[in-house]
Amino acid sequence: MVVRTYQEELSYLEKMTPNSWRIKKGFVPNMNVEGIFYVNDSLERLMFDELKQSCRSQGYGGFLPGMKQIGNVAALPGIVGKSIGLPDVHSGYGFAIGNMAAFDMSDPKSVVSPGGVGFDINCGVRLLRTNLTEKDVQPLKEQLAQCLFDHIPVGVGSKGIIPMNAKDLEEALEMGMDWSLREGYIWAEDKEHCEEYGRMLQADPSKVSGRAKKRGLPQLGTLGAGNHYAEIQVVEEIYNDFAAKKMGIDFKGQVCVMIHCGSRGLGHQVATDSLVVMEKVMKRDNIDTNDRQLACARINSQEGQDYLKGMASAANYAWVNRSSMTFLARQAFAKMFNTTPDDLDMHVIYDVSHNIAKVEEHFLDGKQKTLLIHRKGSTRAFPPHHPLIPVDYQLTGQPVLIGGTMGTCSYVLTGTEQGMVETFGTTCHGAGRALSRAKSRRNLDFQDVLNALDQQGISIRVASPKLVMEEAPESYKNVTDVVDTCHAAGISRKTFKLRPIAVIKG
Amino acid sequence: MTDELEDVYKYVVVGGGIAGVTCVETLSALCPDERILLLTSSNLVKAVINYQKVSKTLESFDVQEKPMSYIQNDCPNVQVLQKTIISLDAKNHILRTDDGCKFKYQKLCICAGGKPKLISEDNAYVVGIRDTESVQEFQSRLQKARRIIVVGNGGIATELVYEVEGCEVLWAIKDISISSTFVDPGAAQFFLPHLNQEKSQDEKPLKRLKYTSDKEMSVEFQKSSLQTPGGALGPDWSTSLEMKGLQSLCHCVHVEYQVEVAKLWSPEELRNACKTETTHTDLPFTQHPGSWPIYVELTNGKIYGCDFVVSATGVTPNIEPFTENNKFHIASDGGLMVNDKLQTSEKDIYAAGDVCTASWDPAPHWFQMRLWAQARQMGAYAAKSMLADDSGDEIPLDFCFELFSHVTKFFNYKVILLGKYNAQGLGTDHELLLRVTKGKEYVKAVIQDGRLQGAVLIGDTDLEETFENLILNQLDLTPFKDHLLESAIDVEDFFD
Repeated sequence: MVVRTYQEELSYLEKMTPNSWRIKKGFVPNMNVEGIFYVNDSLERLMFDELKQSCRSQGYGGFLPGMKQIGNVAALPGIVGKSIGLPDVHSGYGFAIGNMAAFDMSDPKSVVSPGGVGFDINCGVRLLRTNLTEKDVQPLKEQLAQCLFDHIPVGVGSKGIIPMNAKDLEEALEMGMDWSLREGYIWAEDKEHCEEYGRMLQADPSKVSGRAKKRGLPQLGTLGAGNHYAEIQVVEEIYNDFAAKKMGIDFKGQVCVMIHCGSRGLGHQVATDSLVVMEKVMKRDNIDTNDRQLACARINSQEGQDYLKGMASAANYAWVNRSSMTFLARQAFAKMFNTTPDDLDMHVIYDVSHNIAKVEEHFLDGKQKTLLIHRKGSTRAFPPHHPLIPVDYQLTGQPVLIGGTMGTCSYVLTGTEQGMVETFGTTCHGAGRALSRAKSRRNLDFQDVLNALDQQGISIRVASPKLVMEEAPESYKNVTDVVDTCHAAGISRKTFKLRPIAVIKG
Repeated sequence: MTDELEDVYKYVVVGGGIAGVTCVETLSALCPDERILLLTSSNLVKAVINYQKVSKTLESFDVQEKPMSYIQNDCPNVQVLQKTIISLDAKNHILRTDDGCKFKYQKLCICAGGKPKLISEDNAYVVGIRDTESVQEFQSRLQKARRIIVVGNGGIATELVYEVEGCEVLWAIKDISISSTFVDPGAAQFFLPHLNQEKSQDEKPLKRLKYTSDKEMSVEFQKSSLQTPGGALGPDWSTSLEMKGLQSLCHCVHVEYQVEVAKLWSPEELRNACKTETTHTDLPFTQHPGSWPIYVELTNGKIYGCDFVVSATGVTPNIEPFTENNKFHIASDGGLMVNDKLQTSEKDIYAAGDVCTASWDPAPHWFQMRLWAQARQMGAYAAKSMLADDSGDEIPLDFCFELFSHVTKFFNYKVILLGKYNAQGLGTDHELLLRVTKGKEYVKAVIQDGRLQGAVLIGDTDLEETFENLILNQLDLTPFKDHLLESAIDVEDFFD
């Protein structure tokens, strides 16, 4: 690979609007299309700092800066439009988190890449409303949180409390939320307010390995740990009264419940299995990529189809998982307030997917095209009147749920026509810890610990102090910056803002 | 022996600890029409749901069921009897109890737990800690204590040393570092400063089910059960237990490394042997010359006096009543050997929990450790396995036996152990990645062939799910490894 200076790299980048930058062909080898990323001033500084740092240290091992990853995706066969980086873009396996890319289904060379979906397939966010006010909940906050912990298992090794056997799992993988509905865990209306009605029809459980199923079986209805959480939130600010009302949000202080999780170990296994297969397929089909992590297969190859069917099954699992937790959260609230979920008006406002690949129709240069859209760490944001969004939101546009980091705010946006044109109807995702890359500065005085370990005579590598201390900037991608950038760029509109009052996580 | 009417049950489970109770609950859920019997010599263990902490020491439970019969309420086809097993006739499928009853089973699951290994069986000044009753005993004695000696280096000893306040603690361990059953010497070093620090108070919600034993069982029965061990202490056992000694000091702990107990002396014996307590002016302890009811001589020659000795040196499988006249294969650690169906070597007899020794070829990232979580997993799996055998189904080994994972709390830090977290059995060609922030977190990743094999995560690292997945995925980490723990990269996001 060519080693270029930071100044040389800058010549491939051009500011197009106050909120977007163009990545020109040549930034990385073999780019088929250009790249674009969305920023405001402070996000822009973070993006460029990251590039500068990687020029200086020649990259950190397998971790490439977001801009380079966007470029490498632009070099994949069959990509059309642009390789798009949303404002919360950052380093991920293969594709950056917050990178979306569209591939032309009619081009036989087009590929599907598991790295463009992510390991946690159909990781996503669901928002439930209630008719409770902050005043109702504040005095019971601790008990309510404890009650949720009692209902929703968290942490490693936790086991779901919804009984499930191998046959149930097969059906859940095939049917998604139709399974949850049949088993009585959800309300019929819940499905309406989900992407794909909570079920991907191309799912084929026979394309999911036995090990993946074994991994998924005990984890259904569990939250996991790390960046997944459930939060009790209150509405802090309403920007668009009309759209908020359509979502059942009537006043400041209204209590909502946000659930952020995905397909757990099952999704991981599906992704891992396919990465292994695709590395072999690439040799056979002479597919070249800039980065080994971008393992992929032609969409219409057996392996490509198998992955899409397995992925769809994992996506169904994730919806069933979020539905199970919806059920448990409703139970907990009903118990706490001694009433029914119905009387608490605990409807699903919407459920979005962050890590998924879908076949969609889009207009490209005035022509309608069938595309395979990879959205990794990004959210579908369809405009008003789009046929695939529910009746309730035909006038407002699709709700987009942006989960903030613990203790910070979350947002609800809506899709726009401009987003449909510019970003294939896609906007940021902002969930979980994605945005908080600022970590406490490490105190590196721990020779005593090393001495204690040293007696084993094993090679020990310590997280490099220099890099951490001198070069890591305060790289905090603030959720408000991210959302404001999407709003300013016009790819989605702010509707209301939520503030957490209690967090359930592993 | 008077022969009572012989009663026949489809499934009989012995032991009211977590393995036994889980086994019975699972059996009942999966086959609600069969007759199931639970024989327990001690209190039943049960999950407490809707646990609420009202204040620091006061807690309230919302347990609707009447104690003791709660299993029968939840699982109507289960009968619970309080009896002690005296013998097993494996050939004829018959159990005999101390009151002369006989029970015939079609399938039996032994979940009899373990017995604490006491450094001295019959010394009134030696306390073992294993079950709820022994903790209560410990608590009441602690109130009058000025100094105690804790022997043992496992989880219970570690938690105890941290929880005890207002009393001097001498901690005698046989290893070169503290808590070595669970963590490596590096992590021990990380914990050390907290030994003598003030305990921090926190009132976080509990993220796991809390367990307790049925307290309202008849007093009579409690007394009669003293000889047989009760259910082991559950996770979070030390939460909201007040452990305070006589003195007003907070933490006062001294560790003696690489020692074992050589001898216990009474004051008279010590005097007669012309020995005296080692002077310890360099220690944080106060001097109480000649005023201790018991003295401990350690293998390094030092002698310390104390009010009582806590023996927390682990357990041995409680197999005694079952082995006589039967042909069980016994493992070197004294447990009943079981295969990957949890079957013992005797026909129709299964075993789960502390009493058994996993003797199948384990998955690469799993090994047995006598922990609550594993007892629960084994209890549930034994039930499924017994059923599958009857219906002729093949069931795969449950996924929980693919990856060792243990969550606990030491020195008020969340501690998570995953896979081969101490490179158990990996030889010397592995390497360690380390990230430490004093007083905040300790992260150790064990890498072999470029793949993650295990990890120790102490503090709020938020890495557990990612690492769990990386171990199970066996993803090639060669390109990342030097930077895997780099703080500028959020790995939990990178692999999302």
